[in-house]
Amino acid sequence: MAQPKLQLQFAHSAVLRYGLAVVSFGVALGLALLAQRYSFRNVEVPLFLFAVAVTSWYAGPGPAALAVVLSIAFFDYFFTEPRYSFYVTSSDIPYLIVFTGFALLVAWFSEVRRRVEGELLQARDNLQIEVAERTQQASLLNLTHDSVFVRNMDFAITYWNLGAQELYGWEAEDAIGKHSQQLLQTVFPAPLEDVHGELLRTGRWEGELKRTTAQGTTVVVAARYALRRDEQARPVAILETSNDITQRKRREEEIQRLNQELAKRSMELEAINKELETFAYSVSHDLRAPLRHIAGFTELLQKKSSSVVGEESNRYIAMILDSAKRMGNLIDDLLAFSRIGRAETQKTLFSLAQLVKEALTEVRQDTEGRNISWKIGALPDFYGDRSMLRLVLVNLISNAVKFTRTRAQAEIEIGSAEGNSDDLVVFVRDNGVGFDMRYVNKLFGVFQRLHDSDAFEGTGIGLATVQRIIHRHGGKVRAEGVVDSGATFYFSAPKLRGHLWKP
Amino acid sequence: METMNKLGRILLVEDDPKDVELTLTALEEYNLANEVIVARDGEEALEYLYARGKFKTRSSDNPAVMLLDLKLPKVDGLEVLKQIKSEEKLRMIPVVVLTSSKEEKDMVASYRLGVNAYVVKPVDFHEFVNAIKELGVFWAVINEPPPGSVRK
Repeated sequence: MAQPKLQLQFAHSAVLRYGLAVVSFGVALGLALLAQRYSFRNVEVPLFLFAVAVTSWYAGPGPAALAVVLSIAFFDYFFTEPRYSFYVTSSDIPYLIVFTGFALLVAWFSEVRRRVEGELLQARDNLQIEVAERTQQASLLNLTHDSVFVRNMDFAITYWNLGAQELYGWEAEDAIGKHSQQLLQTVFPAPLEDVHGELLRTGRWEGELKRTTAQGTTVVVAARYALRRDEQARPVAILETSNDITQRKRREEEIQRLNQELAKRSMELEAINKELETFAYSVSHDLRAPLRHIAGFTELLQKKSSSVVGEESNRYIAMILDSAKRMGNLIDDLLAFSRIGRAETQKTLFSLAQLVKEALTEVRQDTEGRNISWKIGALPDFYGDRSMLRLVLVNLISNAVKFTRTRAQAEIEIGSAEGNSDDLVVFVRDNGVGFDMRYVNKLFGVFQRLHDSDAFEGTGIGLATVQRIIHRHGGKVRAEGVVDSGATFYFSAPKLRGHLWKP
Repeated sequence: METMNKLGRILLVEDDPKDVELTLTALEEYNLANEVIVARDGEEALEYLYARGKFKTRSSDNPAVMLLDLKLPKVDGLEVLKQIKSEEKLRMIPVVVLTSSKEEKDMVASYRLGVNAYVVKPVDFHEFVNAIKELGVFWAVINEPPPGSVRK
């Protein structure tokens, strides 16, 4: 690259370029004078022409013109009669014209050559730059892990990047020239005519393709086609970018399968649940009729024959009636419990403090003749089904009343505890007989009782009802207790979004 | 007895014979009905109301009240209720649903069809007798029945 550099310097420095004209002329003049001294004839003209040619070649038209002017002037001065004078005689004129014409011709030739050479060099440089760019671009395509390949309209592969090699297993030299559909055994999601139709219409196409690799495994790829057209707008090639989505596809299918299974399971569960509810309902319902008959006819028996049968028989009759009544209560509770599972919750925002007041009114009957000190703390507003929540409070409060029965001074506290930012927590605390924490998980089960029914009556369904209602509100229940030192029942429920409760 | 003369006829629609007996006993205990017609299923109840089949020759007056169970063979209670309340001649007959069902669904359906009262049979005999007594007193004595019902 030394030559273009030299050229560049000449081209850019006028001093150097005109200097070359002067120097080459000077050298020619010197040699001509030397030749004259040693009586060589007629060498001065070729020497000057040579100087003009050199100047024109390396320094361009301006310096060449300078060399022509200098040559004519000093040729006239040194080599034509009268010598050592710039005087031009008529016999010199043809000589000077030929010389000038010849010099101009040489200068013109070298100028043309220079221009052609310049253009050639420019073209070569452009070519080199383009080659460098293309090479870089091609290697950039190799950097991507996406598979990129180009095929012409006859399906012959013309470009194949590293990603394509990694994905499909063939190296570029094995793939290029091959029929792409045959090589990859492509399965399209739509007929090939449709794909090509869209491609020709819009210039692009996207879709999932199934292909077979060199190793014989099947891959699923997400492919994007782009159509390339020539200057006459004729389609010439298709660039395909694709990436492997086999794993994703497999996971998606797996997720879909699991979802379907889940939906099926939940439908089954729902059906089973519904069946159970219907069963519970009809059992409870149909149990009531014979029970009513037992109670009714036993009562009639008692009425008609109490004076006839003995005291023991009367006691038996009383026990039958008592049991029938108890079973009636059990069935009623079971019905209520099963109803909670089926009823729609109708949620509103209401004052828990007000609801506690109502619940207290409801349990008033049980508190008659008792010495209970109530401590009602600040209570938040609650978002939920009011009548269900009322049942929760009545159950918890009547439990507290019931299990403090043995206390001379019963203490029952109702308040709200510190929950997290999403939930509010309400508790009912008593100083009653408490329970053994070992059995805490039995507490909320249906028909589970931790005390015998002689000491504390009840069907064992109250806390199960509480739990069911709170679960239906998306909340949780828990209990803390110490035997003979009281119990605390907590329930939590999600706060209404955007609602700040003020105590 | 003057009150006796004012008692209305009661149509009791009940499939369970034991329930029929208990209901009749309760009514008898307070002398609340001098005529109780018992229909054992919905079809029989409709036959009585339309005076057809074995009730073809019944007196033309309508009962003062109809005590209707919901769970009945053939035509169930809700269907009977629906037919009565959509029939011009019959819709004025007071209908009291007397059932074991406390289900909201049944209650809502009954009221929607225009039932006049809904009573859940108590398990306890005393309560049952009381309920029947109060029903009898209210519908057969206190309540003024629509024209076309007869008070004997």
